[in-house]
Amino acid sequence: MAGHHHDHAVDSYQLDPGKWSTGRNVLAFIALLSWALLGFGYFNDHERFFQSYLVAFCMGTFIILGATFFVYVQYLTGSAWSVPIRRILENIMVSIPIGALLFIPIAFAGVDDLYKWAKPEAISDALIQAKKAFLNVGGFRLRAGILFALWSIWAFAIWTSSTKQDKTKSIEQMKTSSRWAAPGLLVVCLTGCLAAFEWIMSLDPHWYSTIFGLYCMAGGCVAMWATVTLISLGFRSNGVLANTITVEHYHDLGKWMFALSVFWTYLAASQYLLIWYASIPEETIYYKERMHGSWAWVSVLLPIGRFVVPFALLVGRSAKRNLKVLRIAAIWILFMEFVDMYWMIMPNFHEYAHGFHLHWLDLAALGGVFSVYGLVFWSRFKSNSLVVEGDMRFEQGLHFHQV
Amino acid sequence: MAAHNNSAANHPLLEVNPPLVLGGQSYHDVTESVSSISEGKTPKQWYILISITASITVMLFGMLAYLVANGIGVWGNNAPVYWAWDITNFVFWIGIGHAGTLISAILFLFRQKWRTSINRSAEAMTLFAVACAMIFPLFHTGRPWRAAYWLGPTPNPDLVMWQNFRSPLMWDVFAVSTYATVSALFWYVGLVPDLATLRDRARGIRQRIFHIASLGWRGSARHWRNYEMAYLILAGISTPLVLSVHTIVSFDFATSVLPGWHTTIFPPYFVAGAIFSGFACVLTLLIIARWALNLEHLITLKHLENMNKVILVTGWVVGLAYGTEFFIAWYSGNPYEQFVFINRAFGPYAWAYWTMISCNVISPNFFWFKKLRNSIPVMFVLSLVVNVGMWFERFVIIATSLHRDFLPSSWGYFQPTYVDICTFIGTIGLFLTLFLLFCRFLPIIAISEVKGVLAEQRNPGPGVVATSKVVDPKFEPVPVAVGTTEGSGH
Repeated sequence: MAGHHHDHAVDSYQLDPGKWSTGRNVLAFIALLSWALLGFGYFNDHERFFQSYLVAFCMGTFIILGATFFVYVQYLTGSAWSVPIRRILENIMVSIPIGALLFIPIAFAGVDDLYKWAKPEAISDALIQAKKAFLNVGGFRLRAGILFALWSIWAFAIWTSSTKQDKTKSIEQMKTSSRWAAPGLLVVCLTGCLAAFEWIMSLDPHWYSTIFGLYCMAGGCVAMWATVTLISLGFRSNGVLANTITVEHYHDLGKWMFALSVFWTYLAASQYLLIWYASIPEETIYYKERMHGSWAWVSVLLPIGRFVVPFALLVGRSAKRNLKVLRIAAIWILFMEFVDMYWMIMPNFHEYAHGFHLHWLDLAALGGVFSVYGLVFWSRFKSNSLVVEGDMRFEQGLHFHQV
Repeated sequence: MAAHNNSAANHPLLEVNPPLVLGGQSYHDVTESVSSISEGKTPKQWYILISITASITVMLFGMLAYLVANGIGVWGNNAPVYWAWDITNFVFWIGIGHAGTLISAILFLFRQKWRTSINRSAEAMTLFAVACAMIFPLFHTGRPWRAAYWLGPTPNPDLVMWQNFRSPLMWDVFAVSTYATVSALFWYVGLVPDLATLRDRARGIRQRIFHIASLGWRGSARHWRNYEMAYLILAGISTPLVLSVHTIVSFDFATSVLPGWHTTIFPPYFVAGAIFSGFACVLTLLIIARWALNLEHLITLKHLENMNKVILVTGWVVGLAYGTEFFIAWYSGNPYEQFVFINRAFGPYAWAYWTMISCNVISPNFFWFKKLRNSIPVMFVLSLVVNVGMWFERFVIIATSLHRDFLPSSWGYFQPTYVDICTFIGTIGLFLTLFLLFCRFLPIIAISEVKGVLAEQRNPGPGVVATSKVVDPKFEPVPVAVGTTEGSGH
C-alpha cells in the first residue's frame, strides 16, 4: 500500500506562466494552421468542408455536454474523489459559449448543403413537409441559439461560483452551484438529446429513433472522461498537479471510461437489436446504408472499438492504475468517438453512401474545432487556480484512495 | 491548506452530510437495536397485521386455483387486448425489485455509504417482488405444471415442442431467473455475518438454526477478506443485472412492430421507471418499519431524503422518455404512431394516461423542495402515489397500444374481471406477508455494514468531517476493527 503518502503541498495550484504560454502557442498554432486549411478547403470543396466540419463540431460539442453533465452530477452527489480534477471538467464546460460561434458556419452557410430538409427539393417530399414545423431553417437557427444560451448561462453560473470559492473557501458557493446543478441536469439532458436529434439524426429526415439522443450523450460522456484523463496525464508529464491527481484518481477515471463504454454499448445494442428484430423498412434503412461497401467495415469496427477494446483494456484493476495503459485507452476511446460520429454523419451524403472516404479536411476540421474550444478552455487556466482548492471536500479528495 | 478545521462542531458540511448513525450509538447499541427486533416477544400488532395480509394471500391462492380450474377466460383478457393485467402486474412487480439491486450493487460501486441502512430490506423486497412477479407468467400458461415445457428447455416427448429462443419472452425466463438467483445470493452473502451475530446471542433451537444458517462464520480476518471480495464480485455481477432484467422486459414489447410498443428508447426508459417505482416502494415500507421498530437513528431522515432525490431524478428520466416518445411519434410522420399517442392522451383510456402523468411526472416535483423532501407525511403519500402511477404506466403502455388495432372493426375496451383485481390485490398480500416474516425473523438492517459506517464516522480519514465528535457523546477515538461480530469483537 505504499505510495499513498504524497506530499501534496509541493504542487502549485497556479499554472506557471511560461507553461501556460507554451500551451497557448501550441493551440494557437494548430488553430491558425487548421483554419487556413479549412479556408482553403471551403473554396475548394465546400460540401466536403461542411461534412467534415459537422463531424468535428458534434464531437467537440458532445464532449463539452458530457463535462457539463458530470459537473452537475459531482455537485449533486457531493463526490469527493473527483474534487482534484473537477476544475478541468468545469473549464471544459465553460468553453461552450464559443460553440455558438463555431456553429455559425453550419447554421448560416452549410445548412442547405448538409440537411436534405433545407434543400429546395424538400418541397416535393411529403414526409419532410409533414415535419416542417420542426425541420425548418429558421427554427434550426433559433433553437441552436437557445441551446447555446442555456448551456452558457448554466456554465457561467457554476464556473463563476466555483472560482469565487477558490478565494472565499466558503460553503455558500457550493450551495449556489448545487442549486444550479439540479435543474441543470434536467436542462442538459433535454437539450443534449434535442441537439442530437436535429444536428445529427435529421441528416436523414425520414429516419427516427427515440434512443438516439441518449446514444450521442453517452458517446460524448465516455469521450469526455478520456479527454480529462489525457489532460491530467499531460499536466503530469509537465510536472503540473503530479502529486494532486494521484493514481487513486486515475483509477476512478479508468472506471468511468470502462463503465460508460459499457453503457454506450448497452444503448447501441438496444437500438440495433430493436430495429433489426422489428425489421421495419423505415427504420432498418439506417443500418442498411451503413452495411454498404466499405461502411460495413466501419460498422464492424464500432462494437469492437467502442466495446471490446476498452473492455479488455480497462477491466483489470492493475490496468486502471497503470498510467500507460490508461493513456492508450483514452486515446483509443477518443479515436472511436470520432469514428462513431463519422459513421453517424457521413453515410448520409449521397457521394459517400457506398463507402467511406477519408479526406484531409476531416483532420483539418478536427484541428479547427478542438483548437478553438481548446483555446477558450486553456484561457481559464491563466489566472485561475488549477484545482477547486476552496471546495469543502478538497482535503478529502486529495487524500482519497481506493479501498 | 489548513483552511478547514474539520473537527469543528459547526463545520458547514455537517448540514449537507449529517452523520448516518444518530443518537450516540456504540457498536453494541447497533447490534442491540437490530437484533432485539427478532429476539423479543412477538408484538400483538404483528399478529394482527400478518393475519390480514395472510388472509389476502389466501385469497390469491383461491383465485389462482379458480383460474387453473376454469382457464384464462376468468381474466378479462380478450380480443383485441390479449395481454392486460397479467403482464402489467408482472412488469410492475419486477420493477419494484429493482431498487434492491440498485441499492445493493450500483450504490455500493458508487461508494454511497447511506445505502448501508436500507440495502438489506430493499434486497429482501427484491426477492419478494420477483416471487410475486413470477406468478403471472406462470399462471398465464393456464397449466403451470406444464410450464417447465413451455418456459424452459425441457425435453418433452409427449408435447413434441421446443422453445423459441428467438422470443424475448423466452429471454425473460432466463433474465428473471438469473436475477432472482443472483439477488438471493447477494442477499444471503450479506446476511451471513449478521446471522452469526444472532447465533452468538441465541440459545437452544434458535442457536442451532442460526448456527447452520451462518455457515460457520467466525468473523476472522480471513473470513472478512473473502467476504469483502465475494461482495464486490457479486456487486459487479449484479450491476449489469439492474439494467438487463428490465431491458429484456422492455423487449417483450419493443421488439414487436406495434405502434406504442416498438420504440428504441424502451430499454433505458423501463430501467429508470423500475428504479423509480422500486425506490418508492422501499420508501413506503421503510417509513413504516423505522417508526414501528424504533429504527429512526439508523434509517435517518438523511437516508429518506436521498431516496427522495433518486425518485425525483428517475421521475424526470421517465418524464423525458414520455416526452421523447410523444415528440418522435409526431416527428416520425407515421400516422399509426401518431394515432396511438393521441389516443393514449385523449382516447377512452385518457383517465389512465392522465393518472400516470400526474403521479409520475407531476407529483415527484414536490421533492424539489428540501422541506418537502424531509417531511415524512409528504414522502409517504408521494411514495404511494408514485407506485400507483407506475402501475398505470404499464397498464397504459399495454392496454392503449392494443385496444385500437389497425382495423377499427376490431377495436375494443379492456375491462378487468373480479379475478383480475383479486389476484393483483392478492399478490400485494403475499408481498406484505413475506415482508412481515422477514421483519420478524431476520436482521432487517445490515448490522456489520452499519458498524463500518459508524467506524468511519468515528475515525474519519484526512479531510473528512469528524461528525461523531459533534453528535456522539460516547465518542472515543480508539481505532476499532470494523464489522466484528459480537462473539469476537465486543
